[in-house]
Amino acid sequence: MESNRMNRLIELLGDGHARTIRMLADELNTTESDVMRQIDYLEHIRVIRKVIGDGAPGNGCASGCGGSCGGSCNGCPSGGGNMCKSCMPDGGFKNMGQMWELVK
Amino acid sequence: MTATIALLGQPNSGKSTVFNALTGLRQHVGNWPGKTVEKKEGTFLHDGKEYAVADLPGSYSLTANSDEEEITREFISSGKADVVCILADSSQLERSLFMMADYAGINVPSFLVLNMADVAEDQGKKIDAKALEDKLGIPVIQLSATENKKYDMFFEAMNRAIENKSLINISGLKTELEKIEGFTKLEELIPDGSIENYSALWLSAKAIENDRLVIDKLKNTLAPDVIKEVDGIRGAGGGAVSTGNSKFAWIDELLAGVLQKKDDQVKLGKLDRMYLSPVWGKPAVILTILFGLIGSFIPALPFMGLGQAIGGLKAPIAEALFSAGVSEILITVICNVVLQSFSYILQMLGFVFGVVLVFGLLEEVGVMARISYVFDNSMAKLGLQGKSVMPFLISFGCTMGGAAGTRVIDNWGQKVLTIALAWAVPCGAAWSVIPMLASLFFGPGAVLVIIAILLTMVLHMWITAKIFGRKLVKTGERYGMIMELPPYHKPKWGALFRYVLGRTKDTFFRVSKVVLLVCFLFWALSYSFVPGTDPILFKIGKVIEPVTKVFGMGWQLFMAFIASSVGKEGALGVISALFNDGSFYSAFSDAMSGAGVAADLNEVLLSNVTKPEALAFIFAITFNMPCVVALAATYQETASAKWTAKIAAYYTVGALVLSTIVYHIGLLIW
Ligand SMILES: Nc1nc2c(ncn2[C@@H]2O[C@H](COP(=O)(O)OP(=O)(O)O)[C@@H](O)[C@H]2O)c(=O)[nH]1
Ligand SMILES: [Mg+2]
Repeated sequence: MESNRMNRLIELLGDGHARTIRMLADELNTTESDVMRQIDYLEHIRVIRKVIGDGAPGNGCASGCGGSCGGSCNGCPSGGGNMCKSCMPDGGFKNMGQMWELVK
Repeated sequence: MTATIALLGQPNSGKSTVFNALTGLRQHVGNWPGKTVEKKEGTFLHDGKEYAVADLPGSYSLTANSDEEEITREFISSGKADVVCILADSSQLERSLFMMADYAGINVPSFLVLNMADVAEDQGKKIDAKALEDKLGIPVIQLSATENKKYDMFFEAMNRAIENKSLINISGLKTELEKIEGFTKLEELIPDGSIENYSALWLSAKAIENDRLVIDKLKNTLAPDVIKEVDGIRGAGGGAVSTGNSKFAWIDELLAGVLQKKDDQVKLGKLDRMYLSPVWGKPAVILTILFGLIGSFIPALPFMGLGQAIGGLKAPIAEALFSAGVSEILITVICNVVLQSFSYILQMLGFVFGVVLVFGLLEEVGVMARISYVFDNSMAKLGLQGKSVMPFLISFGCTMGGAAGTRVIDNWGQKVLTIALAWAVPCGAAWSVIPMLASLFFGPGAVLVIIAILLTMVLHMWITAKIFGRKLVKTGERYGMIMELPPYHKPKWGALFRYVLGRTKDTFFRVSKVVLLVCFLFWALSYSFVPGTDPILFKIGKVIEPVTKVFGMGWQLFMAFIASSVGKEGALGVISALFNDGSFYSAFSDAMSGAGVAADLNEVLLSNVTKPEALAFIFAITFNMPCVVALAATYQETASAKWTAKIAAYYTVGALVLSTIVYHIGLLIW
């Protein structure tokens, strides 16, 4: 792996377009699994975040409604920029994949 | 106690499986002092010697970001473990070796267990553990923790690590890290062993990563002028992104010649080449939705027939009740309120079923996720971030859900604009009431009505964005997004039908309550309890009709429009009450005369409402405010009574303007 690949990934996101993991892999000349591990890492160091966290109640989201979600989502601060899947409204779709965005 | 072993690894690397296999029942579960993190310790015997083992809490890395990570680090650095067993997932080594890479540089003996060997083998991966051992300088073994009955290899590796006090060879990592500006200098400033069991390399990397605990410890250890210099280098070092780059680069270097795998780049499927194409993506998605909606008519047809059959029961039942001596009022309530309502409800239910089925199917197959990708740049044109597409998609099901879904948007103006636009997306109730009314009035032409509504929706959103956007969103930066699209699935038909039937049943009960209530209310207001006098509703109707005619609606339809602000199904209640075959007497005498039977109630509607009026009405209720619940949700999410009122007023006026226009277009056609 090129030593500044993650910086390039972040740079790419700066243009405001949405990309699939596949496209990122093509643009960065690497594999999808490499992109996935970078996403993992960038999420862990809070450079990017999941738009909808996969926190089961109590499990906690990456940010925003942390553990405070605890089953009911009233604890979810509005405007956290992130919400738990378990806090998703009824009628929200399943199987929507995952989205990440840059943390400002 | 011969030695203490700590199990270290990312979540799901198999720590607990190994722990349980080693200790059996000799384990103790508690909490780490002062933390809500589970502490698991136990003992085991091997070759007559007793060992202690700790199942450390799983975490992504060793940065002090969470309780789990702090506990793990503290346990290791304080020297509680004689040897650390690092677990990695063989099926995704590039990713899971990160824990090992983050551990490298801690001067506590370790060995590496590449767990899930069975999974890696199934994936056709070949891993040369011996080659990795040579590169790393610590014992490396492959294991299937769930399958191996014997842990011989494990014990052998463990004992070698303890005897040799084997430390990870960090020269490769050092080379990578020293590519970071100032890293070498940092290593010089922070002496080896200055803090616990950490090497200069490890501390320097964590300092660049802004690790809170390391920085505090350095402050307590180093001289103030050294700290100043350290801080300067840290600021320019590029933070955790650059050390992450170095660690991944080192992992790839380690895996070269160690890991052999099939090319994992699968070719893009036909469907994705279409949906994700910059040119064909949008047309493909729009056609998919359109054909889906049209397809939802098919299951609706039998329900239409059933509903009409119930309407046909009115006359015979009225007759039977009359001969049984039931009072007139009760007969009209039963026939003109209950039966008539259920006739409409059932006709609508078919569309509920169809629409839920279609969207459920698109969702399950994975098309919905593609839609959010395809419309990302359209969001930009509306002045919104890409993630606003989620609330819009949810609004196809329920506007209230869509409004709640805007919680993912942290900019208030963008959030309000998203809600304002989401109101224009016809919700599930609209997608059942409207196709039903459309097919009632226009037969197969309903398809064209659906197309026209979708086009109007797009136009409406565009205009609304122009009107509200100026105040709400400043054209600012847009933040790029990454989307992980789920692979296409074959739908699980059984589960899907259970879901669709469940939703249809729920809707049936909810809608029945509303329609019956509204219908009864309007029936009561339109019934002449005193013979010879006009009922109150007719009086009001006569007064307002000159105005409502401007919008292309008679007073009855206008009242149905008003009721649709409460909920789309409310409109059905009003229609049901106000368009019936006049009084009970006519129904009854028709039945008595045996001729013609009672006029089909659909026909009653058709003979009282012209096609332009019907079209105007359909557009009016589609683009009216969605329902009171959506209104409340809008208030809750925007926390602004002013904007909620603005949006509601805008939609009410907008719907009437739209119906006026549509009415006149209708007049040109028919
Ligand atoms: N196929 C397979 N599954 C395993 C193996 N080791 C652990 N697992 C499974 O992986 C999951 C996570 O294991 P666990 O021990 O709880 O991981 P921990 O989070 O690190 O404690 C469990 O469902 C285990 O049964 C293995 O070698 N092969
Ligand atoms: Mg565990």
